[in-house]
Amino acid sequence: MSPLGATSAQCTVGISEMLVRSGGEEVLVTYSLGSCVGLAVYDPAIRAGGLIHCMLPLSKIDPAKAAASPAMFVDTGVPALLQALFDLGAQKKRLVAKVAGASSLLDEKGLFKIGERNYTVLRKLLWKNDILIAAEEVGGTAARTMYLHMATGRTVIRSQGQEREL
Amino acid sequence: MNRREQVLSRLREVPAMPAAAMEAIRVLQDPDADARSIMQALQHDPGLTANVLRLANSAYFGSPRKVSTIQEAAVRLGTKRILRVVVTSAAAPVVRRAVKGYDLSAGELWEHSASVAVGTDALAEALKMRLPAAAFTAGLLHDVGKILLGTHVEVEASEIVALAVREKIGFDEAERRLLGIDHAEAGAAVLESWELPDEVVLAARWHHRPEEVGSTSATLDLVHAADALSMAEGLGAGRDGLQYRPSKAVVERLGLSTKIEELVLCRVLVALKELKEMFGGNEK
Repeated sequence: MSPLGATSAQCTVGISEMLVRSGGEEVLVTYSLGSCVGLAVYDPAIRAGGLIHCMLPLSKIDPAKAAASPAMFVDTGVPALLQALFDLGAQKKRLVAKVAGASSLLDEKGLFKIGERNYTVLRKLLWKNDILIAAEEVGGTAARTMYLHMATGRTVIRSQGQEREL
Repeated sequence: MNRREQVLSRLREVPAMPAAAMEAIRVLQDPDADARSIMQALQHDPGLTANVLRLANSAYFGSPRKVSTIQEAAVRLGTKRILRVVVTSAAAPVVRRAVKGYDLSAGELWEHSASVAVGTDALAEALKMRLPAAAFTAGLLHDVGKILLGTHVEVEASEIVALAVREKIGFDEAERRLLGIDHAEAGAAVLESWELPDEVVLAARWHHRPEEVGSTSATLDLVHAADALSMAEGLGAGRDGLQYRPSKAVVERLGLSTKIEELVLCRVLVALKELKEMFGGNEK
């Protein structure tokens, strides 16, 4: 699968995982974003970026799990992703952040609120860190795949058999 | 022949699980089944036996000591866990294939099915209830109807999704409107033709409409809730995505809370990673 004509090597970010890269031509990709949130962050000046796929909002549900795999939770994963980018020389004011996911079932009664909770915690965390969301595709009932092109910072969403740039 | 009859006429085309596994599933519904009856069920299928032993020694099913015979495995793991091992081994080849019409690549239906199976287990544990003998099996096989519709009848999910989104109805309801049958009923018919226990068939049949069954079934409730969690999470999601309506009655009957839902998802993900090491996951 090569999104929007890309031919570069792909590197998969699994559920509850994150990857950061500095330079290079790779495309980072994460599949199956349902209620999970995907966050792609990119610093165009040094072409450093990262992609994270968080499953749940708050780590207090299982602190031991959070210590072992911080990317599982928004509240531990996002700071870890940002720190990893700062370690590569990225600067906060240059960061371009894009968000996808936080879907839900046809759930008017609010029985399964994970997507909504994930998104709320993510927004709050980015806001606290003075990072604006440059673009997002969230909510609805579709599952999404998110791509981050390391060479350009281009972010692509694939969903329901269609691709579009975010 | 209308679309519904056309679907039901092709039941037999879905490749069945090995006969030995189906016999073992029937034998193991009885909680008093002993190692000998399990061995009898499996004895003519050395391939399945080998897989069962491999899986019995895996991280997820975790026998504390390595087992090398079915008898040992049965003693160490107990009847219930041995049933889960047998059905996990036997269902994998059935649900691993790509399902074109539903936009599921190889491994995705397996990933979803396995997450529902381990989800029933994790839910029962979190809710401190006994896991009914049929729940794990029903979890693994609840979506078999998608194979019949998406592979053998070549249903295209995209037009069904379009109707469901337009009308704000569940994907299964859109299937019924367009085809006269949904994947749940189609799957139940397949499982019935395999002579699996009634409880497994019932859970598959009503997993999207648990409120429409006259009686309540703990197996059905657990499969419905685990399926909702797995779909919400997008695990092995196809073209139908999250376009389904969860049941308030089931959530209330089980006493699900946000905390329990999140705890269960945590456990499901860990279990799924362990199982994936043995069966592989997405092959995109």
